[in-house]
Amino acid sequence: MKTTKLSGLALAAGLAAGLMGTTALAEAVTAAPGAEVNAVLLPKFLGILPFDQANRGAQEAAAELGSTGTLEYIGPTPENSAAGQIEMLTTATTQKQHVVMLSNNAGDQIAPTAEAAQAAGTKVVTWDSPIPSGAGETVFIAQVDFGSIGVVMADMAYDLAGGAGEFAVLSASPDASNQNAWIEAMKETLKGDKYKDLKLVDVVYGNDQSEESYNKALGLVDKYPDLKVIMAPTTVGIVAAAKAMQDEAMCEKVKVSGLGLPAEMVSYSLNGCAPQFALWSFVDLGYLTYQASYAIATGAIKGEIGEEFTAGRMGSFTIEEDPGRPGAKRVLMGPFTVYTKDNVEAAAN
Amino acid sequence: MRALKSWEGGLALVFVLTLAWNAAFAPEFLTVQNQINLFQLSIEKIIVALVMTLIIINAEIDLSVASVMGLSAAVFGYLVNNGWGGGTAIALCLGVGLAAGLVNATLSARFGIPSLVVTLAMLIAFRGLARVLVKDNSLGGFPGWVTDLGQKGLVGPVPLSLVLFVLLLAVLWVLLHRTGFGRQVVVIGTNAEVARFSGLNVGRVKAVLFVMSSTVAALAGVLYAARLGSVRGDSALGFELDIITMVLMGGVSIFGGKGSMAGVLLSILIILNLRNGMALMNITGHIQTGVIGVLLIASVLLPNIVSDLRVRRARS
Repeated sequence: MKTTKLSGLALAAGLAAGLMGTTALAEAVTAAPGAEVNAVLLPKFLGILPFDQANRGAQEAAAELGSTGTLEYIGPTPENSAAGQIEMLTTATTQKQHVVMLSNNAGDQIAPTAEAAQAAGTKVVTWDSPIPSGAGETVFIAQVDFGSIGVVMADMAYDLAGGAGEFAVLSASPDASNQNAWIEAMKETLKGDKYKDLKLVDVVYGNDQSEESYNKALGLVDKYPDLKVIMAPTTVGIVAAAKAMQDEAMCEKVKVSGLGLPAEMVSYSLNGCAPQFALWSFVDLGYLTYQASYAIATGAIKGEIGEEFTAGRMGSFTIEEDPGRPGAKRVLMGPFTVYTKDNVEAAAN
Repeated sequence: MRALKSWEGGLALVFVLTLAWNAAFAPEFLTVQNQINLFQLSIEKIIVALVMTLIIINAEIDLSVASVMGLSAAVFGYLVNNGWGGGTAIALCLGVGLAAGLVNATLSARFGIPSLVVTLAMLIAFRGLARVLVKDNSLGGFPGWVTDLGQKGLVGPVPLSLVLFVLLLAVLWVLLHRTGFGRQVVVIGTNAEVARFSGLNVGRVKAVLFVMSSTVAALAGVLYAARLGSVRGDSALGFELDIITMVLMGGVSIFGGKGSMAGVLLSILIILNLRNGMALMNITGHIQTGVIGVLLIASVLLPNIVSDLRVRRARS
């Protein structure tokens, strides 16, 4: 598999911070296998591929570690995501689960519930999307450095627009803290001189529902006739936008980019509707999240800054301060891959 | 035996079965904290369902309740983030609810436009206002005492919202089943024309109910905001369906004139316990929705089938 690994400035900074953390502590902690850890993997909602992939990774890690406890993969329906997540985290606390692995879709609305969970002894490890304030969260397993996603999104928009012109963002829900952080990071990047002719005209939300995202994409091209790129930092939004442009035969004029799954994007990548997009491995993210959660639940690590732990086949990782969320902690996975027609087919299989 | 044949009797049986099922298969079910969580996770809906019971018995409907909840929550978030005190903001939110109720009452009771149409229009209008106020943001940063009241126990582990629910239940129970006003609600619901010719002030009764409904919905909106600690433009979106569902499953006739607080209370208890039990057994969201759906279809079909059978038996 040929992959193009990007290393934006922010990513480099993130890696540097990770390395410094490594030197601070003598040795990585390895949690003893075979402990009883009851865990819940709680995605934003059920029914889309990346979360299923994360579950596959988590199950793989659980099998490797030989946990004698349970690993439940449960989630709300998309239209009931925020309230459903709050309900399920509450239930997990009642069940005295040892750890809940949460991809947060409820913004800070879930913070009181997460704090109650922690108080009752249920650890809350976030992955994919953190709790914005960090309240109630033990640690966040970050797929990639959020700042570097901003750089990559800006660069892809720059490339596809030919260095100048209008582009718009089609995001998930307004409370999705991962997407919000990436868009903010992208806006910061856009202030750079390189991007001065690139204009972000709008940010709209399709709530990770295919039809809504499809309609929002059509709305964008109606509203901005000179639009050159739709940047969708969500696997649901990017497919919907690419399909919308293909259905309207507008792929020559408006390019779609963002974060997408190769398997879902391969046809749009090959036919030129979405020539460039990025993503990381959700299987690895689920795997690392379970490894970290297991180490925390068994008490091998406490979730403090500077602690280093081993995560099976992925090597060792260090808990560090989250540069995007003062006072909150993260484990940085990274890096990610930019897909083009040259490498998308290999990754899609 | 006769009690069992009534709708409430059937509900009581289903409720007991649900309790037994949960207690048998979910060891955490009978803990105090779980019992409180079970109410608190849906508390805003069940508060509004109580007033909805009277509205539907009165042969009207209020589809705008969830939008009023959302609007009230949005107004609260907006005011608090623009330097208003929490107490003043809550008072203004209740004022918004009162005003919304007056709009519904005027259009439907005074001008005689069917409440289905009026409140459907207001469902859209109030939601639009809420979205304009909050835009695509999430407004938080409420005063500590507001979120404490929304999230923590007031009487021991029992939160304020649950206390309010019990009080409102008692008040409306007495109002519906023990007062002249309650009898008027039922008589008008059975046949508004006859009630009007008998000299009842039909418009006034309906107006009181609509104002009550929106004001309580506004209160529920504030409780929702306080519980979650922040509001969005789509807060409480679609709650009206859950609320109306609870009422209809409680044996309240959608054509008016029939229904009891006991039935609705049992229906609420069944739905909440069923959801809670399924969650504790790690049954995922899609299946939970499906099970509740099947229950509802059964609860709508069953009375029709039973009465159909009775008619046939009487004929033969």
